Amino acid sequence: MKRTTLLLGALLITTLVMGGNDRYIEKMRETLQLFAGCSTPEDYQDLANRFRVIANVESDEWLPLYYEAQCYILMGFTGQLENELRDSYLDKASALIDKMLAMAPNEAEVYVMKSFYHTGYLVVNPPQRAMSATPLIHEAIARALAMEPDNPRALFLRLSNEMGTASYFGEDTSPYCDQAAALLREWDNYELESPIHPNWGKQEVEGIVKSCGE
Amino acid sequence: MTPLKYQILCSLLFLFSGHLFAQTAISGVIKDSKGEALPAANIYIEGSYDGTSSNMEGFFRLETSETGERILCIEYIGYAKIRREITLGGSEADLGAIEMSEQFNELTAVTITAGTFEAGDQKKSIALSSLDMVTADGSSGDVYGALQALPGTTTVGESGKLFVKGGDSRESKTFIDGTLVYVPYSSSSPNTSVRGRFSPFMFSGMMFSTGGYSAEYGQALSSVLSLKTNAMEVQDQLNISLLTVGAELGGTKSWDHASLTSSLAYYNLKPYMHVVPQYTRWEKEPQSLAGDLSFRLKTGKSGMLKVYGTLNRSSLTTLEESLNHPGNIFHYKLVNDNQFINASWNGEIRKDWILSTGFSYTSNQDRISIDSTGYNESLLGTHTKVVLKHKASEYLRLMAGVEWYASTVGMEYPRAEAEQYNSYRNHTLASFLEAEIYATSRFVTRAGSRFEYSDYLKRSSVAPRISAAYKLSDKSQLSLSYGWFFQDPDQRFLLQTSSLNFERANHYTLNFLINGEGRVLHSELYYKQYLNLVKYGVYNGQIYNNINNEGHGYAYGLDLFWRDKKSISNGEYWISYSFIESKRDYLDYPHLAMHNYTSRHNLTVVYKHWFDGLRSQLGVNYSIASPRYYNDPNSSTFNGEKSLPYNSLSANWSYLLRQHIIIYATVSNLLGSEQQFGYQYASIPDEDGIYHGEAIGPSAKRWILVGCFITLSRDRKLNQLDKIN
Repeated sequence: MKRTTLLLGALLITTLVMGGNDRYIEKMRETLQLFAGCSTPEDYQDLANRFRVIANVESDEWLPLYYEAQCYILMGFTGQLENELRDSYLDKASALIDKMLAMAPNEAEVYVMKSFYHTGYLVVNPPQRAMSATPLIHEAIARALAMEPDNPRALFLRLSNEMGTASYFGEDTSPYCDQAAALLREWDNYELESPIHPNWGKQEVEGIVKSCGE
Repeated sequence: MTPLKYQILCSLLFLFSGHLFAQTAISGVIKDSKGEALPAANIYIEGSYDGTSSNMEGFFRLETSETGERILCIEYIGYAKIRREITLGGSEADLGAIEMSEQFNELTAVTITAGTFEAGDQKKSIALSSLDMVTADGSSGDVYGALQALPGTTTVGESGKLFVKGGDSRESKTFIDGTLVYVPYSSSSPNTSVRGRFSPFMFSGMMFSTGGYSAEYGQALSSVLSLKTNAMEVQDQLNISLLTVGAELGGTKSWDHASLTSSLAYYNLKPYMHVVPQYTRWEKEPQSLAGDLSFRLKTGKSGMLKVYGTLNRSSLTTLEESLNHPGNIFHYKLVNDNQFINASWNGEIRKDWILSTGFSYTSNQDRISIDSTGYNESLLGTHTKVVLKHKASEYLRLMAGVEWYASTVGMEYPRAEAEQYNSYRNHTLASFLEAEIYATSRFVTRAGSRFEYSDYLKRSSVAPRISAAYKLSDKSQLSLSYGWFFQDPDQRFLLQTSSLNFERANHYTLNFLINGEGRVLHSELYYKQYLNLVKYGVYNGQIYNNINNEGHGYAYGLDLFWRDKKSISNGEYWISYSFIESKRDYLDYPHLAMHNYTSRHNLTVVYKHWFDGLRSQLGVNYSIASPRYYNDPNSSTFNGEKSLPYNSLSANWSYLLRQHIIIYATVSNLLGSEQQFGYQYASIPDEDGIYHGEAIGPSAKRWILVGCFITLSRDRKLNQLDKIN
């Protein structure tokens, strides 16, 4: 019983005390946790919808747009879907990125997402798009790194691009394994501005390190 | 729990219930106009965090603690957003079925495809990509060579230029970023194939129209090729191309809002022609030197300034045998100087108003010497264009423009006994107006008109054009178009007289298109009527006798294009077939006759295969065309003789050695089939009264090219390694 009372009390207090910004952060945290359970395009669409609702209310914040764009890019990566549909998701992401670039032109993370978008665009039709998209992918990462040389996501994207290229051309990938290990060691030293700032990528780097060890 | 505690808790809950528990549940089912469920639609209360998504059946249930008059929003990609006023009073509200209507979407809306092939890296492009232009066939990166793999075109081996739907190559015009390229082809000796002057790599988009084009384009009776150059470059890089016939070096410097690219190319076919046997007897093999500069500047939010300039000099000398005097060998020497400048600015001047301005300048000079005689042909032309486009609504787009063409054409005989110089200047003022009206996103009509006035001919023309397209299903559509087209007569006639009228063609086109995922079927029936073609009695080598506009003709046919990128994994193919029946009574024809540049049947099959393990692409192209007609003056039938059918199998191989190094090789006419494009005859008979004739063929049995393309960017990997470790 005591426990129920406490819980209810806590709930009441949070509801009462929590105003604007805290509610935003809480809502974002809650929504971000759903990323872990997403796998199908429908899951990501549902999540994108949730970020859209937050973005509508918090029209000065770029982070809801960021995650919404990320959902659409991930949907764009779904190979089983028709290319036209994949492109329509990517168009959605592109519009969100443009909006973010106007709101937060000095955020390295926005350029990381831009690079991710161009990668998604390329992947829909590599033979036809590689030539135009590749320089855009590189350029966005270069911009992100110019703003924040230690941004782990920018470093990760660059690493995975270069490593992918090297392995495609049958080159030695061991230098990239060392880089990945170094990136992983340093990963947690990067200070997040807030608990809802982008924090993805570590798992993927762990994956690279693991596959290097095999 | 003790009763007291319970009571306190209850009262506390009651106290805050207004805030906490006045939940309203709204439910409904989201459907499209056909009654199909829309899953994962976004449903939320405006201005609150309360939202949900519809499930696979389109059903949603949204619980909200908001109260009073609020707005319920429903969003779904590609559909118009719904905003509905709703009163939240703490009870259940079932909204039942909610129908969403499809939003006007430029990507899925119907477009007019009659006569049109679009290409590029854009999503909608169906025919060719810029990459296809480079690797499609034995064209070795020639834009016009690649277009000859599309239906509606005829391969005319001794020319290399575009011949579209029974039209002469002169009837096709090329535009770069909206402005005219007066001389899009390189110069060559008579009966040898020419190439386009521009590399396909310069362009990110292409619109090739084989009839019924927009009122924006004039001075073309048959076809329009509109090329869009690349946007701003974002990376500094160095490009090196090494070919068996020359080398090219280019560099790009990019800034935040601008980029500059410059390149220098030198080609010399001498070493190549010493190794690969040639039919043509060369005194001096072709060589050329070209330099170009391209500048891009972003202005304001959406504006883009593009400036491109190129200088080119090429020369060659062949040994030719006189037809009138067999055994007599003469030197044919050609020196060509070409300069081209193109500048354009394009941008949104205010919301939904786009201004495009462009200017082009072409200067071209061919100096031809035939032993001790010769002539110089020169052309100086400019084109200025201003176009304003307005999107009045999703359903109505308007376009209006004004153009100014100024050209001077000259013909000089510097070594004639009495030095002769003939020239004329022509200024053409043109304006056009066009509206695109969408009745629904499935039905569009485009109506426009074009006015032209030529101050040399002192004639004006008004060309109405109308087309419409209807989307039969998501994947198929029908387009129709009708229009009038005018063009100045050939410059050789205008050098002699200005008392001629415009030549005219009327186009009727019916197009049926199926564009499924990865597969395209483009089929087209057309009829073309030619009026006011230039006709003359006799040409005595200097003067066209009895020159008039009484020529006429017609062409009708069927074009089929099938492209399949889906059925074969890592492979794709396309098949292009044209049937054409075309006759003319023009020039010195005695009557209506099939002309010599059209084959009745043309078939091209292209197959490309990507070998992932080898990082290579193999391209194979097979073309076959029925015989063309030519005139034998020894025969009583005009244009009654037939050449050999044309057939050629070519192949190319591209190998990605490194991310930045591509090796490319191509061979045309792999099977070594005999190729003959017709016959040419002496203008005077020999002592037996026979006109001596000679077959026209290619300048060599095969064309072989091997090249290596290297791109070096400033993304120095070593530096990047340092940064991480």
